[in-house]
Amino acid sequence: MKLKKLVSLLLVAAMTVSLAACGSGNDKKTSSGDENGTTEEGSVDKDALVIWTITNDQKTQAEKWAEETGNKVDVTVIESGDYPTKLQAALGGGSKDVDVIVGEPQMLEDFFDAGFFEDLDQAPYNAQDYAGQIVDYVWEVGQDSDGVQRAISYQITPAGIYYRRDIAQNVFGTDDPVEIGKLFADYDTVLQTAQTLKEAGYRCFASDGEITYFSGQSAWVIDGVLNVDQARYDYMDLCVELYQQDLTAYASQWSTPWYQAMSGPVPVLTAEDNAWSEDFAEETADRDTTEVFAFGLPSWGVLTLRDNVGDTSGKWGVCSGPAYGFGGGTYLGISTFSEKKDLAWDFIKWCTLNEETADWWIEDSEGDTVSLVSALEKHADDENAVYGGQKLYQFWQEQAAGIDYSKVTRYDKQIGDAWGTAISKIKTGEMTKDEAIAEFYDTVEATFPGEVTVNRD
Amino acid sequence: MANVSEKKKKRNYNNMAYLFVLPFVVVFLIFSVYPVLRTLFLSFHNYRGFGEMTPAGIDNYKRVLTDKFFWRTLGNTIRIWGVNIVLQLGLAFLLTIVFSDIKYKVRGLAIYRAVYYLPNLIACTSVAFLFKTLLDWRFGTFNQIISTIYKFFGATYNPVNWLGQASTAGNTIAVISAWMWFGNSFIMLMAGVQGISKDYFEAAAIDGAGRWTVFGKITLPLLKPILLYVAVTSLIGGLQMFDLPFLMLGKTDAAYSSIQTVVMYMYKFGFETGTTQLGYASAIAYVLFFIILVVSLIQFKFFGSKED
Amino acid sequence: MAKKIKKVILYLALTILAVMCMVPFLLMIVNATRSGVEITKSFTLIPGDSLKENWEIMNNFLDVFLGMRNSLLVAVPCTLLTAYFSAITAYAMAVYKFKGNKVLFSVIVVFMMIPGQLGLIGFYNLCNTLHLIDTYIPLILPAIAAPGTVFFLRQYVQSSLSPALLEAARIDGAGELLIFHRIVLPIMSPGIATMSIMGFIGNWNAYLTPMLILNSQKKYTLPVMVAALKNSTDMQSNQGAIYLTVALSVIPIMLVFCFFSRYIISSISAGSVKE
Repeated sequence: MKLKKLVSLLLVAAMTVSLAACGSGNDKKTSSGDENGTTEEGSVDKDALVIWTITNDQKTQAEKWAEETGNKVDVTVIESGDYPTKLQAALGGGSKDVDVIVGEPQMLEDFFDAGFFEDLDQAPYNAQDYAGQIVDYVWEVGQDSDGVQRAISYQITPAGIYYRRDIAQNVFGTDDPVEIGKLFADYDTVLQTAQTLKEAGYRCFASDGEITYFSGQSAWVIDGVLNVDQARYDYMDLCVELYQQDLTAYASQWSTPWYQAMSGPVPVLTAEDNAWSEDFAEETADRDTTEVFAFGLPSWGVLTLRDNVGDTSGKWGVCSGPAYGFGGGTYLGISTFSEKKDLAWDFIKWCTLNEETADWWIEDSEGDTVSLVSALEKHADDENAVYGGQKLYQFWQEQAAGIDYSKVTRYDKQIGDAWGTAISKIKTGEMTKDEAIAEFYDTVEATFPGEVTVNRD
Repeated sequence: MANVSEKKKKRNYNNMAYLFVLPFVVVFLIFSVYPVLRTLFLSFHNYRGFGEMTPAGIDNYKRVLTDKFFWRTLGNTIRIWGVNIVLQLGLAFLLTIVFSDIKYKVRGLAIYRAVYYLPNLIACTSVAFLFKTLLDWRFGTFNQIISTIYKFFGATYNPVNWLGQASTAGNTIAVISAWMWFGNSFIMLMAGVQGISKDYFEAAAIDGAGRWTVFGKITLPLLKPILLYVAVTSLIGGLQMFDLPFLMLGKTDAAYSSIQTVVMYMYKFGFETGTTQLGYASAIAYVLFFIILVVSLIQFKFFGSKED
Repeated sequence: MAKKIKKVILYLALTILAVMCMVPFLLMIVNATRSGVEITKSFTLIPGDSLKENWEIMNNFLDVFLGMRNSLLVAVPCTLLTAYFSAITAYAMAVYKFKGNKVLFSVIVVFMMIPGQLGLIGFYNLCNTLHLIDTYIPLILPAIAAPGTVFFLRQYVQSSLSPALLEAARIDGAGELLIFHRIVLPIMSPGIATMSIMGFIGNWNAYLTPMLILNSQKKYTLPVMVAALKNSTDMQSNQGAIYLTVALSVIPIMLVFCFFSRYIISSISAGSVKE
């Protein structure tokens, strides 16, 4: 009984205290908000440039910028999945608290439409003065549907095929990126290459999603009509073949075994376990592990691999894939509601258009690929040790030149996911191709009624 | 005369109730009722979260009712919840019987209860991450263990792709969910048992009543209010299932459409890039709410008929 | 003899169940001592030797103790407010007769059924209008109104409080507030404790609302910090650090849980209604 009394007493006491604390906190906030002067401990510094971002890159950059210019910064890193929600909640309410905002390509169209990003073409920014200095496709991604510049990125993200040079030598007798690139020139060739590798005891890919970045010839939606081009169907067939013919290591992208495949042998479950082919059983009966030949990733994959290749470091190379493609990228812009737009523009210019920054960033990020043309050219001969001394900046610049940005629409993420689901269902035998495609059409129709017209074949 | 003043006094007692519930009601109106009414307002409009908001009448509701994917997600939700609740409550109930049994006098309730509750302490994101890795088709520890056991008996095991196929993904999630929550239900039921006076059990023991008689005649009826609570909250929670399936499967996985729940479907339109249609998301939320309301009312009738 | 065997089997089953509950927990702690590369390669229950590196990575990104302080600053008042106001509301609803009681009860039940995620936009707009963004108030104050807890405690009062006790107290001349604080609150304690454990854990692990409301990193609660860490450039080498942070964030919960667990046990032996 004593204990109970003690607890209830504590409860009442603590209640009073917390209520009081709550009340006083309230007062403090209003007063500091009104006077705009002294700031209490822990709150945002009123002079600081406030940056809301999705990667830690901006934190590093902002700290360096603050150090160089003497400005104050306040960087908030938000999980990219939550970023649109947070930005919509804040800027939808006209919040003036944030100055620099960012977005990934597929988020940008929505953000532009919402009017969150300041028009950078107007004075005093006059962004078009800098037009030629940034890699073309990146420059275009930062423009809204009317061609108004609203965001700029400090990096390019063209996709490439990362492959093991030692395995290439072994199986194909060469490790030259140009030669190996030919083995991935189109979907049919990819399939052949994968079969050759399997016969030699390797697996071409760890997952069947490695070609994702190179899929599609035209946009998913053209003038409000769903558009499924032949390349999409070919990509679908390729994925199904890769899976059903045991040409991958059955890992899913970004999963533990997928990373594991970067550093060397991965276990293949014993042959009998295989549900898809009988021959495979005999061929691999005595083998417990296999090695994966290639990964398809954008240029930031350089860093992903560097951190995960372990002992295979130096044995990697990068070549072109069956098409030009890109993935991700962080684009910086100014919030229309910001009260420190000039300072925000200084920061964006410093991040994207300053060659010294680019030099520093290349070094500090240990191999990120910048978007500033002059910096890319300056570093064109830099050799990357992880990739057998390959001159990567040169390669990425070439790849970036081929990217057609007009293919990107706001629907890409959702429609691409629906197409991916259809592929998964076909490859696992859960649905026939016709059923899965019909379901895909249904999904698009139900998701964007009145927005996207679906004409079934 | 005395009678009247007593009545007055009683009324005075009862008036204290307004003071007691006042803070709750005020905060409730501001922070719960208002946002929810706004959602109702939104459901009659088309709004992408920014820009213009246009009136839509009942179009969004019509769309929900005719959207086959909505009904499919509802089916998924109920199926997963059904498996989950049988396991979760069944296990919790079994444990409650064991630990409240006066003859066995099982010791270590404190420790067992604490341990059973452990899964509930870990944030859902961590649970999802762990199980996703453990249950991996070709590389997961779980399948490796089963394979080893099969081999020990000279059999071969064709590994089950637990999360990769429609036939098992839902059940796998239901089991994990039950694993997370059975300790929680167990604590609730045990709290209910603690509310029952020991005298009842002792009296029953003296009368020589059997285990099942005690259970049926004493434990179960007295547990009814708590059981009602656990059942109602579990149903409500179950129909709102979101975190676990959302985190365990990717959008392009083959089994995704068989584990997509109603709230996941709502989330797609409420918060995801490219599909933000707040009016439609709100309408889905209200239809779901209406379904939960109907089911709960039935449940209340079923459990609460004698109590009131 | 048969009874003994039965008992052994019973304990064995209970223990196996317990082990099943502990394994993922152990994995988390073990992973906190391993490097990112090791973690992605395999599962093991043998600790690695990267604890120090993980600690350093974690410290470079975030101040875990500041996060804990912030989380406590939110979770403790929340839990106490919920406990106290839910108890008083539930008691009033269960014991007094007043106009609107039934309506209030129906509204509470109805609100338990509304999917939580959707009130968010409205909630955020509200906080923005009231200038409460980036403060702890929108995270703490709403805790006063917890329909689920009120519902549970109302049931609890009905099943554990005898009206005779109240009548006796009133005859002794005790006021209503005094009755509640001195007599009812102790009787309700096991129920309150149960709900408080869950409430505290829920508040401690809460992510979505704090993520939306808090802007300055100094105010971040632990889950928001962890999410920011997860999202930092180099997720792979941070794996161990993430596990370490998650493991550390569970410790306070464990402490609270242990405390309340013991408290529940003592309340069993005391037997509330009997005294």
